[in-house]
Amino acid sequence: MTPDLGPAHAIIRRGLVLTILGIIGVGVVMVLAVQFTPVEARQGLAQKIFYIHVPSATVTLWIAVPLTGLASGLYLWLHDLRFDRFAAVSAEVAAVFCLAVLTTGPIWAKPIWGTWWTWDGRLTLTLFLFFLLLGYHTLRAALRDPVERGRFSAVISIMGVVLVPFIHLSVYLWRGLHPQPIIMKPSAPSLPPEMLRTLLVGIAVFILMYIGMVTLRYGIQLARDVQEAADAA
Amino acid sequence: MPPDNGQYLVAAYVVAGTIYLSYVISLIVRARRVRRKT
Repeated sequence: MTPDLGPAHAIIRRGLVLTILGIIGVGVVMVLAVQFTPVEARQGLAQKIFYIHVPSATVTLWIAVPLTGLASGLYLWLHDLRFDRFAAVSAEVAAVFCLAVLTTGPIWAKPIWGTWWTWDGRLTLTLFLFFLLLGYHTLRAALRDPVERGRFSAVISIMGVVLVPFIHLSVYLWRGLHPQPIIMKPSAPSLPPEMLRTLLVGIAVFILMYIGMVTLRYGIQLARDVQEAADAA
Repeated sequence: MPPDNGQYLVAAYVVAGTIYLSYVISLIVRARRVRRKT
């Protein structure tokens, strides 16, 4: 029997368009940051790394990991494989964004702090989150039974969500080199308007890229699952 | 006078661009493979 892959292909097409728009948007943010945003007096040009580092971190910590955890929780509750598929896809994209955070951060740290890395609370916990995401995929790859795979990996992804508030509060809990939040704080954002504008455009673009990547990856996984089910029947 | 550290900016943008583009290319390759199979 030929499986109906029409819906999966439609999702793939939609995801591809959104992802390409997101990638173009990232290019626009880079140009906006370099050409149309003032240079910070003390940090120089290296401060402009902020416009890709912070949006990548925002998507990882406030969107990708929480949505992965939410989908995992819903899977544990409702046993609907669509939630498990979404969680796996979102966790994969979260790992990509987290890798960008963990590589751009040290490149920014070197000229400003004088070191590539320090075992500061926020850096260490973010690295731990990245390893947790890698562990999540390793576990999924090792388990054949979809129900067992969904259940065990859901527990790991919920552990990732538990880490998020600790990562956010780490700059208050432990004294380290990492600066305190400039947007996600009780008072108003402490940034000049031009810098804030570029940052907000950056966050919007990275959210769009996350949505595009997740949609595209979800479509691919859906097509594979439908094909596998048809092959097994 | 701001410090002269533009090379770090270029390095970070190249690294981030490479990470995101590589992932997008991998997704496109996987999507094409799925389409070809079906």
